Amino acid sequence: MYNYNPFWALTIFLAVAVLGFFLFRPSKGWFWVINKGAKKDKKELIEDILKLLYHSENEDKPVNVNDIARILNDDEKEVLESLSEMAEVDLISLSGNHVKLTKAGSDYALRMVRAHRLWERFLAEKTGYDEADWHHIAEKKEHELSAAETEQLAAKLGNPQFDPHGDPIPTNTGKVAPINGVLLSELETDTIARIIHIKDKPDIVYKQIVAENIHIGSHIRVVEKSPERIVFHAEGEAFVLAPIVAANITVSVLKKDVLFEENIARLSMLQENETAEIIGISREMRGESRRRLLDLGFVKGADVKIDLPNPLGEPKAFLIKGTSIALRDNQASKILIKKS
Amino acid sequence: MKETNVENLISLSNDLRWQIGDEFHDNLAEGIYADAAEIVKGSVRNKKEKGHLRFDAKLDQILTSKYLGFPLMFLILAVVLWLTIVGANYPSAMLGSLLLDTVHPFLKDLGVTVGLPVWLNGFLIDGVYLAVAWVIAVMLPPMAIFFPLFTLLEDFGYLPRVAFNLDNLFKRAGAHGKQALTMSMGFGCNAAGVVATRIIDSPRERLIAIITNNFSLCNGRWPTQILIATIFVGAVVPKAWSGLVSLAAVIGIAVLGMGFMFFTSWALSKTVLKGEVSTFSLELPPYRPPRFWKTIYTSLIDRTLIVLWRAIVFAAPAGAVIWLISNVHLGDLSIAAWSIDFMNPFGYLLGLNGVILLAYIVAIPANEIVIPTVLMLTVLVTGIGGGAGAGVMFELDSANATGDILKAGGWTLLTAVNLMLFSLLHNPCSTTIYTIYKETKSLKWTAVASILPVIMGFVVTFLVAQVWRLLS
Repeated sequence: MYNYNPFWALTIFLAVAVLGFFLFRPSKGWFWVINKGAKKDKKELIEDILKLLYHSENEDKPVNVNDIARILNDDEKEVLESLSEMAEVDLISLSGNHVKLTKAGSDYALRMVRAHRLWERFLAEKTGYDEADWHHIAEKKEHELSAAETEQLAAKLGNPQFDPHGDPIPTNTGKVAPINGVLLSELETDTIARIIHIKDKPDIVYKQIVAENIHIGSHIRVVEKSPERIVFHAEGEAFVLAPIVAANITVSVLKKDVLFEENIARLSMLQENETAEIIGISREMRGESRRRLLDLGFVKGADVKIDLPNPLGEPKAFLIKGTSIALRDNQASKILIKKS
Repeated sequence: MKETNVENLISLSNDLRWQIGDEFHDNLAEGIYADAAEIVKGSVRNKKEKGHLRFDAKLDQILTSKYLGFPLMFLILAVVLWLTIVGANYPSAMLGSLLLDTVHPFLKDLGVTVGLPVWLNGFLIDGVYLAVAWVIAVMLPPMAIFFPLFTLLEDFGYLPRVAFNLDNLFKRAGAHGKQALTMSMGFGCNAAGVVATRIIDSPRERLIAIITNNFSLCNGRWPTQILIATIFVGAVVPKAWSGLVSLAAVIGIAVLGMGFMFFTSWALSKTVLKGEVSTFSLELPPYRPPRFWKTIYTSLIDRTLIVLWRAIVFAAPAGAVIWLISNVHLGDLSIAAWSIDFMNPFGYLLGLNGVILLAYIVAIPANEIVIPTVLMLTVLVTGIGGGAGAGVMFELDSANATGDILKAGGWTLLTAVNLMLFSLLHNPCSTTIYTIYKETKSLKWTAVASILPVIMGFVVTFLVAQVWRLLS
């Protein structure tokens, strides 16, 4: 009827499909890459430089002009142009190779930090994005939020003080809550502490911490410390971290009279025929999901036991307040219990 | 003076908010919950119904056991589907002979008696009435059997156990275990399946369930699959085996649909639906004897009649369109013939033909009228005898006679296989599309749910056709 060669039809189709894949595959597709590259305009670059300067001044690690281009991974010429432009409008003061934020520059930087952290908080509470994606999305979004939108966002979230990583969110008057903590890598053995902050950079280390299921708000006790590794107990599990990873976690040391309960565990570790009492829900359980658990009766003081194991492993059904509720392991791991 | 006071107050409140900290609201709410729980513990005494609990636990152990749980589940689903498909044949045949063979000629004659012009009589009776009658005859009986059965299982408490058993599989695809239920509901009717996604309370998983519900072969498509498989696939093997092979082909298509459902769920949850909120919870209610009459009543009113009504609303204009394209002539050919000619090359590329593509376009309101439309259009363009006239859909009593018409229309085994695939992978019917819009309130997701399956259908049939032609 119609004459054509199916082989060529197939080849053309495959070529189009492969091209489409490389163009539009999530995050690494050429289309997105080109789109992103073209979009990074002067305003974004200036704002990124301001943020970099703010953070480095905060950590007392001054940077010079060359460092900025290297860290931001941007064209040196463009960075230099931006810097001189910024000096003109009095955002920074340049002396030779040395860069310093002015008062105006530091205010601007604080506004960016505020937008970034508020957006991270928004992502954590109101959306379903993965923890590992929050930083990157906020990194883009902070440049798009106007001052008015930032204020609306803050009001909608109830003017929060901390972002989901435990970093303080600057107020609109530029006030920043202090973090009084020590790095986990510097704790002596046998100290009891509470995790208050997990740094979201560098990416690879943060992803490892998230994968280990370490939560902000967990009480920990260090049991071993050596140059190779740090071992600590938290919520009935032992965690082993390299010191360089542990340096990304900040804790606040608890007073000696706080009792560290070794038999606190996560609901996911409850065995059949055991009963336990719920101690609370981890801070990592946020927004909708947290409210849902409370509504279902997973509140402090409630008794819980396994009602039904699952033929495929999870979700297990828990008997709580006379009702059988099935939870997946990643939810159960965020509910703290005391076995009885 | 006053203004400074107000400002002082505001700054004081800001300071205080700062001092009580972030977790204040949560702590307060959780404290109230915990206190309430404490009071209940101390003051409410439970009469323990031990015998009842033991029965529940025993049943749960069987229904969710590692070895018995899954076979039991498939058995129950198979029985429900079998009852629906086989059981619906008899009332369908009765309704069909009443509405199509008795009332239709009567109305046609009545039109002549009253003195309606021939074209208006054809338009109203052969077009609008016939489509509506057809949809009622084929759609009502299976739904009236399937939905009550399904609702009885739900009421008894079995369905949540199915979701519980299967959740891990769905979790890997980024979906909710309850999608197993909405999917099974989709085997009855996709529109009802979409409505049923209300049981999924997590926004992301609910959207996934809505968009992928179309991959469950619905009641309107089972008969098409069975008919085509019997005529073409069954004929490939010796007669003794043909029944078994055609059944296997139909089940294969249904299983393929589940595969596509898992794949699409996974792809959606990893890409466009990444940011939607996801919360999981699944309550396993105690078993209880189903309230039989109440269930029958509500499932008939809430599910069957609502869906049927929507189908009728959409079928009437479709009937009109089908009649019009076959009877309105541009030059020397009808609109139908022109469009079939136009679409034939594309159809051939997909291993289908122009007739099938046109039938799927005009029969959007209901999958039930696809085969009657295909038959009518085939007779129209090939000019062979038989049929009931231009624009009048018909069906034949014997599969052999149907097969003869289709073969005269140039059908081969490839056409049949690809029709079965395309019947699985094409846009949802307009009733379902409308229901998706009502449920999601979003044009964007409605468009995704409607267009995505067609694209997949084009790709799959295209690939099958090319490979087939290369190998043969």
